[in-house]
Amino acid sequence: MKLVLYSGGTDEENVVLDKKLIELSGKKNPQITFIPSSSYFIESEFMEFASQFQKYRVNNLINFPVDVEYSEILKNEVLKSDIIYLGGGNTFYFLKHLRKSGFLKELKGFVKDGGVLAGLSAGAIMMTNNIMTASFPDFDRDDNDENIKNLKALNLVSFDFFPHYKNSLRYDNELIEHANKTQKKVYSCPDGSGIIIDEQRIEFIGKTFVFYKGEKFSLR
Amino acid sequence: MSETKSSNYNSFDTLDGSHPFKDVVEDGYVDYEARSRKGAKIRYFNFDLAKQMGLIPKSHPNGLNNKLSEKIIKTFSLMIINEYDIEQNRDFSKDKIKDSKFMATRYLQLQHDDKKGLSSGDGRSIWNGQFKNGKETWDITSCGTGGTRLSPATTKFNKFFENGDPSISYGCGFAEIDEGIAQALFSEVFYKNKIKTERTLLVLEFEKGYAINVRAHPSLLRPSHFFIHLKQGNYDNLKNLVDYYIDSQRHTKQWASCPSDKSKYDFFLNQMAINFGNMASVFENEYIFCWLDWDGDNILMDGSIIDYGSIRQFGMFHSEYRYDDVDRFSTSILEQRDKAKYIIQNFAQLVDYIKTKEKKNLKEFKNDKSLDLFDKEFEDEKNRNILKKIGLDEKETNILIEQKLKLVKDFRKIYNYFERAKSSKGLIKVSDGISWDAIFCMRDIMREIPKIIIAKKEKISDRDFIDIIKSHYATEEDTQISSYRSKMIKGFQDKYWDIITEISLINKHSFEKQILKLSFRASKVNKFARVTGDSISLIVEQILKKKNSICADDLYEMIDDFSSVQSIYDDSRDADKLKHRDLLMQFFRIVKEHREGL
Repeated sequence: MKLVLYSGGTDEENVVLDKKLIELSGKKNPQITFIPSSSYFIESEFMEFASQFQKYRVNNLINFPVDVEYSEILKNEVLKSDIIYLGGGNTFYFLKHLRKSGFLKELKGFVKDGGVLAGLSAGAIMMTNNIMTASFPDFDRDDNDENIKNLKALNLVSFDFFPHYKNSLRYDNELIEHANKTQKKVYSCPDGSGIIIDEQRIEFIGKTFVFYKGEKFSLR
Repeated sequence: MSETKSSNYNSFDTLDGSHPFKDVVEDGYVDYEARSRKGAKIRYFNFDLAKQMGLIPKSHPNGLNNKLSEKIIKTFSLMIINEYDIEQNRDFSKDKIKDSKFMATRYLQLQHDDKKGLSSGDGRSIWNGQFKNGKETWDITSCGTGGTRLSPATTKFNKFFENGDPSISYGCGFAEIDEGIAQALFSEVFYKNKIKTERTLLVLEFEKGYAINVRAHPSLLRPSHFFIHLKQGNYDNLKNLVDYYIDSQRHTKQWASCPSDKSKYDFFLNQMAINFGNMASVFENEYIFCWLDWDGDNILMDGSIIDYGSIRQFGMFHSEYRYDDVDRFSTSILEQRDKAKYIIQNFAQLVDYIKTKEKKNLKEFKNDKSLDLFDKEFEDEKNRNILKKIGLDEKETNILIEQKLKLVKDFRKIYNYFERAKSSKGLIKVSDGISWDAIFCMRDIMREIPKIIIAKKEKISDRDFIDIIKSHYATEEDTQISSYRSKMIKGFQDKYWDIITEISLINKHSFEKQILKLSFRASKVNKFARVTGDSISLIVEQILKKKNSICADDLYEMIDDFSSVQSIYDDSRDADKLKHRDLLMQFFRIVKEHREGL
């Protein structure tokens, strides 16, 4: 299983993660499909995404929103990509449409078949068991406008992921409470850091904090 | 900021009804006294436009303050004292009556029986005036300020009506809040997509859903303002107006080379042919339904849209849609070109009349050179548009048109075949007229095909092509692949690939790099969810349902954000930073759900 979880931040902050992601595909010019969390802002999001990877001479880039109708032929090509990259945005809306379009299942198959799955913020949360970490803290959370009840996501990793983490008590209290409730590790990454999973190996890029059993640890 | 706080907004004081038109065309208007109207609430104020015009400083915050609100209401909350008021000897408090008079202009309108414009024009609007900011001038008019003698109701019933008389609906002289908001929303979307249009400066709301809707544009003159004098054979008025218009346009880029001698009239005619050829082409390319007719109403002199009452933007090329206006059907989108061209024929007659003082029969101008210019401009814009839809930029477009025009035209021809394909269901009744559904959504294929080429690196099957392009209007029968259709699919893909190859050679890019570049632009230009007339109406309903919790500043922000997201030229909006995200997401959903409709 090959996964890359990005927290967020600028291109410059994510250079290491980007390079590692391309390396993970085993190709110099891999085909990367960008799946945005919604189609509403796709043009500008995809432009940014493309300029991020064109710096590494990657030109096989496709955008593929799942909250609008899409053609089977393009879907089939997307699933043949070397890398699928899930964008950031509203996690609830994203999950609703990944499920509705049947893509949650497709992504699991993609990863199982050796494809590299990357995700930024909401896209990274999507790789965990459920998207609860998008629902707190009150001052920095996604709204469940879609009122979705089933929060189960891809369940590809055994930990929870908290993006855009800021090293402050306000966040810490909520993360400790969440970890106590779920009895799972919560990896919390500030922007620019992230996690790489290459089969059994897990690598942390940049600072990562773990919340587990009422404690907070810094991994770097 | 301190300058803003201390500002008395004196610039608004120049909007006192004065306008050079009054000196140019002596009997081209009816002047009305006006009085302050009570109970106005500012529902929408277009800060961006007000800054562009110079009405408020560029540094002004996008929010109303007490002084600004008072000034706006004092300036625009007006009701005319009309002929009915005078007949009834109504007495209005002197301190409520404005010092100056406001004109309702006369222009030709085909719905008036005389067909000469003896009694037609601004039926429920007055001109607030002309605002000058040093470099530019802006005409400002208010709709819903009371019924004038030029309203169709007055002519039809041969009597004057009380302002707001509920028995006469449109003729009562009032406007409604939903009209105003729809116009603000639609015109901002068009403006930000570089489609020429009037813009809404202000919407004032009154009780019972009535409104005053204030519009602005550098020139709010319509061809019908000119044709009225042509039809009536009033040479002096006509010449004065044309001279005035030419003079007022000289400062603009396109008119900078306008001569000052008599040949200026030929320049004027050519410029009109260019404006209208371009406008008719843009309307067809962007599926904009605008009820054009020989009277030259519903359109401004530079081809800008005015009066959003019957304006629609279709999601697909529903070329048979006709609006049912009780006693007649409107023109269809395909007939707009002929109507626009006929307007130019009228201008040719008009210019000849000015030059010779002899009014010849209109038929004598059916082969006028200006009509060739119209056609040339129409075709040129068509060719440019198809390349824009492929994703080419302006420079690439210029080169390809210069070097490979036949290839561009051949591709356009095949594109038209799919764009104009209609449902086997035939003509059907729709809520406000009749239509014959288009079945293929061209935006979908133009957006998706570069992505498929990036991924697949080869052409797609006929069935895949049809699956991408078919809309929800298409039945199984509509999507059959005949040998002819198969040939057209092949032709479409061959020509498309040829264009990409040509442009990659010109740019010295690899095919791979070129197609990726095009896919960015194609994705923007051929948005999945683009507004339609239906979606605008539904969004306005949503706004009105929640109007008590949406203040004028909120509505400005919402319309500004919404229109920016809808613009193919604006990348400035970030989903996470939208202030009214919840409501905007509802609007986007509406647009998505109605993207193929009328």
